[in-house]
Amino acid sequence: MESGLEQKYNLDVVRWFTIMAVVYLVVGASIGVYIASELAWPFLNFDSPYISFGRLRPLHTNAVIFAFGGCTLMATAFYTVQRTCGVRLWSDKIAWFVFWGWNAVILLAVITLPLGLTESKEYAELEWPVDILIAVVWVAFTFNFIMTIATRKSSHIYVSNWFFLGMMVMIVYLHVVNSLAIPVGLFKSYSLFSGVQDAMIQWWWGHNAVGFYLTAGFLGIMYYFVPKQAGRPIYSYRLSVIHFWALMFGYVWLGAHHLQYTALPDWTGSLGAAVSIAMIIPSWGGAVNGMMTLSGAWDRLRTDYILRFLIMALAFYAMSTFEGPVMAIKTVNALSHYTDWTIGHVHSGALGWVAGISIGAIYHLMTRLYHTEMFSERLVNFHFWTATIGTVVYITAMWVSGIMQGLMWRAYDEYGTLAYTFVESVDAMHPYYAMRAVGGAIFLTGAIVMLFNVLMTVRKSANAGSLAAARNVPAAA
Amino acid sequence: MNSLAEYFHTDWAAMTVSDWIGTILTVVIFVLMVVVYFQVFRPKNRDRLEARKYIPFEDDNEFNGDKDGGK
Repeated sequence: MESGLEQKYNLDVVRWFTIMAVVYLVVGASIGVYIASELAWPFLNFDSPYISFGRLRPLHTNAVIFAFGGCTLMATAFYTVQRTCGVRLWSDKIAWFVFWGWNAVILLAVITLPLGLTESKEYAELEWPVDILIAVVWVAFTFNFIMTIATRKSSHIYVSNWFFLGMMVMIVYLHVVNSLAIPVGLFKSYSLFSGVQDAMIQWWWGHNAVGFYLTAGFLGIMYYFVPKQAGRPIYSYRLSVIHFWALMFGYVWLGAHHLQYTALPDWTGSLGAAVSIAMIIPSWGGAVNGMMTLSGAWDRLRTDYILRFLIMALAFYAMSTFEGPVMAIKTVNALSHYTDWTIGHVHSGALGWVAGISIGAIYHLMTRLYHTEMFSERLVNFHFWTATIGTVVYITAMWVSGIMQGLMWRAYDEYGTLAYTFVESVDAMHPYYAMRAVGGAIFLTGAIVMLFNVLMTVRKSANAGSLAAARNVPAAA
Repeated sequence: MNSLAEYFHTDWAAMTVSDWIGTILTVVIFVLMVVVYFQVFRPKNRDRLEARKYIPFEDDNEFNGDKDGGK
């Protein structure tokens, strides 16, 4: 038992964020499997607009990115900043405001998106009143984090906190600018930008949501939880410093590669692609840094199932940060854009990297927050294999489907007319859409097992009184 | 004029305030990146920087009796 830990730090809010993250993982993945099934078997729409693909798809992305990802980031950021700064959160009240505020945002998303209330901006669909609530809660989260760092006992700010802080500051900036809109009613607004400027702002936000929220934030998790789970310090602290600054400098340039062959000036797409290629260097530097932390202790992967999640996530991080720049190159983009290849790429990052590192961190947290071992190590191992196999099946289906789509769309016959109709390309996708739904279902099975394992761990802790005992031990001097 | 010179030709008179702000910021950040690389890889700074990788383990001693050995 970690005597004094409960007295010194605010772990209650971390516990709630952690549990809710697992709940939202199951919810978000369930919606994902359902809409994937709708694409394979369209009768599942049941002619109801509320559960049609167009309305449930943003609910899926909001649930996995902002509900699951957000709760994971808030749990890990609040935990890491306390333990690396040696002080309690600056304000417990603000921390709880962030918890309830963020969950209110998620609840509003669940209500408004199926009703079709949307700004129609990818990864920023929620209408303006919810956007304001997001900004307020996120600024409160950032402020509490900064003030905790400001009152730290350690002389240096550990690199995880740099990544978390970089994410927080950039998301405030990106979210506010991208959400600038003119309200014409309580649930309707129009973007302040128009035409190609609107598209550029959209993808400036869109790619930086990937770069700062889904990458920098989760790298903050990696730099704390991989060393802690491995029981060894990060391989190279100097490399982590370079990784941070290169990421902060480079990512903001990339958004234009989403708009190749559009009305956007050609040079902006070329610049976006060039910097995308350059970003392979820091991204791989970071991935190698995380993996090499196990240098000399690779045998741990045979027995430590949580470490497996963390290291496999780094492998997916390396893979998707190579694939993304390749897809940004104009020649490749001409084939890949608007196809399912993009969906496969996104999910190799989302399922393999983001979910993988989150799940590893959550399992690590569960044992520390509830002062007991996991209810079942075998179920953690089962989860690892379902998550890995489900992800591989999903992305393989989308790679094949996407490349086939791209090739069919641009195939010409000897008379210079299109070789295939669009409907023929849709028909050819069906086996891969079914395969994608199966891959997602395998991943979802693992998530449900995780939720069961987590809840049973909470019950185990309650029955054994380990959390209650930790709360009652005297505080360390 | 060869094609490379044409490619890099810039009409400085047409630069707007936004163009100048963007250009200056980009050049300044690029120079700062070079400074960061130089400082981080300077042998003199190695021990000072690498010592910081132990920060996640610093509060373990405070919580004696941790069943996970302070992990």
